[in-house]
Amino acid sequence: MILRTVLRNEWRLLVADRALGLVLGVFALLFAYALGNGLSWVAFQEETLVAAREGNVERVEAIEAELAHIADGGRPSSPFRDPRSPSVLGGATGAHTAVLDPGPLTALAVGQSDLLPYYYDVSIQTNESSFLQNGEIENPLNLLVGRFDLAFVVVYLLPLLILALSFNVLSGEREQGTLALTLSQPVSARGMVTAKLAFRAILVMGLALGVSLLGVLFTGAFGAPGRVALWCAAVAAYALFWFSLAAWVNGLGRSSAWNATALVGAWLLLVVVLPAGVNITAGLLHPLPSRVAMITAQREASNEAVNQRSELLARYLEDHPELAGGVAADEANRAALAWAATDAVNRRLEEVTGVYDERLAAQRAMVRRYRFLSPALLTQEALLDAAGTGDARFARFRSQVREFAEHWRTFFVPAILAGEQLTADVLPTLPSFRFVDEQLPEVTARAVTPLAALGGLLALAGAGAVLRLRRVTGPG
Amino acid sequence: MIRHIVRKEFTDLSRDGRFRWCAAIVGVLLIVSLGSGWVEARRAEAAHSAARETAREHWESQGAKNPHSAAHYGIYAFKPRLPLSFLDQGVDPYTGTSVWLEAHRQNDFVMRPAQDATAGQRLGALTAAQVLQHLVPLLIILLGFGALAGERDQATLQQLLATGVSRRDLALGKALGVAGALALLLIPAAIVGSAAITIGSPGPAAPPFARGAVLAASYLAYFGVFVALSLAISAWVRSARTALVALLGIWVLNGLVAPRVAVDLSKWLHPTPSAVEFARTMEREIGSGVPGIERPDRGETTARLLAEHGVETVDDLPVNVIGVYLQESEEFANQIFDRNYGALWNRFEQQGLVHEALSVAAPLLAVRTLSMGLAGTDVQQHRHFATAAEGYRRDLMRRMNGDLAENSRTGETYIATPDSWAEVPPFRYDAPSLGWVLQNRSLSLAMLGLWLLGAFLVAGSLVRRAEVA
Repeated sequence: MILRTVLRNEWRLLVADRALGLVLGVFALLFAYALGNGLSWVAFQEETLVAAREGNVERVEAIEAELAHIADGGRPSSPFRDPRSPSVLGGATGAHTAVLDPGPLTALAVGQSDLLPYYYDVSIQTNESSFLQNGEIENPLNLLVGRFDLAFVVVYLLPLLILALSFNVLSGEREQGTLALTLSQPVSARGMVTAKLAFRAILVMGLALGVSLLGVLFTGAFGAPGRVALWCAAVAAYALFWFSLAAWVNGLGRSSAWNATALVGAWLLLVVVLPAGVNITAGLLHPLPSRVAMITAQREASNEAVNQRSELLARYLEDHPELAGGVAADEANRAALAWAATDAVNRRLEEVTGVYDERLAAQRAMVRRYRFLSPALLTQEALLDAAGTGDARFARFRSQVREFAEHWRTFFVPAILAGEQLTADVLPTLPSFRFVDEQLPEVTARAVTPLAALGGLLALAGAGAVLRLRRVTGPG
Repeated sequence: MIRHIVRKEFTDLSRDGRFRWCAAIVGVLLIVSLGSGWVEARRAEAAHSAARETAREHWESQGAKNPHSAAHYGIYAFKPRLPLSFLDQGVDPYTGTSVWLEAHRQNDFVMRPAQDATAGQRLGALTAAQVLQHLVPLLIILLGFGALAGERDQATLQQLLATGVSRRDLALGKALGVAGALALLLIPAAIVGSAAITIGSPGPAAPPFARGAVLAASYLAYFGVFVALSLAISAWVRSARTALVALLGIWVLNGLVAPRVAVDLSKWLHPTPSAVEFARTMEREIGSGVPGIERPDRGETTARLLAEHGVETVDDLPVNVIGVYLQESEEFANQIFDRNYGALWNRFEQQGLVHEALSVAAPLLAVRTLSMGLAGTDVQQHRHFATAAEGYRRDLMRRMNGDLAENSRTGETYIATPDSWAEVPPFRYDAPSLGWVLQNRSLSLAMLGLWLLGAFLVAGSLVRRAEVA
């Protein structure tokens, strides 16, 4: 079989070519470095989450000890922090930290996980403004630049490796004068280019996917085989897109130098210029609304609320008649009054945030449409989604924390309004947060669009390559 | 002779279709990014100054209340957009935009614009600074890679030298030709940029031409480095193709690999604590103090005041013990904040130094640091603003506690008059001077200077030794 001969020949050439070996070696190092970086980030996150979880346990233990002390006739450490009071136990003193474990493939793609919060302290004070908080402590300069992770290597550098390996698969043969000789064998130009590119694709994808799987192995993410498969599909589709593009350009029959220039130009356009252009356009046409106005709205709401506390309590009880019977008769029930004011502020804040979030979502949807213009943006989206470090998983976390905060409130508010005193019996029944992770169908459904678009681009480049290569007959 | 070379080179390049296309793309991106940066900066500053006024209005109109309640109510500060920030938004999307100045606590800046953006927007954010840092050098490479290697490929180098032109003049002519072609792009951009600075700098101060001039000079030096590097490589390697590959390799290392390696290296050398750990440490230290910084005790404060004034009971004291104690607590907490936040900021600055030091391998890191510094959008100037805001908070708390201590007696329910809030001067922020910025960025200045010098020396020596065929 002649193709096998081509493949074997390519292998011999590769082994003999020092420069090529060097390029592959450098890339292997870059991949290993990127993976090491990702792994250390996951380790940091996991360590932090252990501390956060310990904090939950410690807070409950401290409250338990204090309640026992009070039950024995002792006095609370501070009159403002008496844990028997539901507004204290449900407040900052007894806050529960809701945590998001790193995405199954975070080691491969840091994504948004260095920017967006992955834990929130939930208490009865949690409201929409709690979600404005920053994520992990990180130098803004480092956030700006981004990490050297596998996703970065795949999106930015892998195409360069592919182009370096394949810009002259056909033109090189022609320039060396070996094309006529090769084509005199029972092999078409298409067959030969396919074989040569297939050989390179196996090398490159073997490297990229091998390192990815190594990362999966290190982090024990085999529990999410679907995500691993999506990741591999995105890497493969992106790599094949660049191989097809190289085949197409080779089929144009120009010189190796021309091919190199054209392919580097394509890389610049698709990976650097287009995403930038897309973002400029998006920024001008669909600017993100400013959050600053939210602060003003929150202030106004809380001013109003403070001025009409007792009125608010009456209104709150009208809205929640089921709680009215449980309100302490004492008009001076300060905790109940305070709660009514807090609730009014929260409602107003929810209104403002709701309007803001709608606008934000609309703008983001507009911005995301542009990603179809660049395979780099499509790939990045698919990779982050597969890794669980994209925007979607964090949005899911936030919405679950919102629900949990609501749950937390419904647990404590009736007791606050009734002026009840809590005992240690309540501790084992405290709500606790558990993130319900995305199921594979959801991730897949989301990843299908960018993957399909990527597949479309791949098909386009592939078809172009096939059509051009069919016309190649010999040295022209 | 040199004039002929410059003219020939310039004519060649400006007629070259590839150059025209590339220059057009870069030029359009540059102008559009300048424009969009300007629009965005104006939009943000308008929103911020409106919010700033409302915040002040809220503070002034909070009505009759106890000064400590007013202190808890506090005031919001909004980070101003400096006039040059439209050129380089720097770390601004990643630092919060506002901070709540309230009693007892130093809060973090919240609401980072980047948190609202999509992951895709993070990948390819493009500002004028990024066009200048990434795309213009690429254009220079495309202009310059064939300068000598191309002549050699076409075997015209020998003829050229046979005319008696010195290699030095040839190289200089080539460099100036490239510079001339580049000027076609940069001069219009500079005019648009200066116009944007003049007609509508978002700040109230005079247009920052001095900062702008240093910024322009830094970028010109950076471009000079790439012109010299292109010539050097073009003289050194055998073929134009190899020159292009080598220069593109340098470009990738400089613009893509080095900045991210700097991130990892800086984190590895100077790790920052997790937010959980940081908050816990702070909570613990506020709760029980640290050696040398003792938590004030209300009983002790009372006893001391009684002794100072030579009276027996708090009722006889001319001051409110609570006001004095609250101020002592503020001062205690401030020391703890300074300790922790100070350490964190110092870490950030050390990390920044790692980025700057790595500019020894990638000039981008030097020019980026200078660019952000001069545009007023680097980490250090964020710290400068944060420190000013915290200073204002402390002054505000001192005034509130002083009012409470002096105008009321212990145990009394004191309500300050509604117009007392307007007596607190509003928060005014003065951005640091150009000298301050340059002094802090001296490492990058030196690195950029060294690069420029080194690149030209190397180019000169390689051109002198360049093989003719």
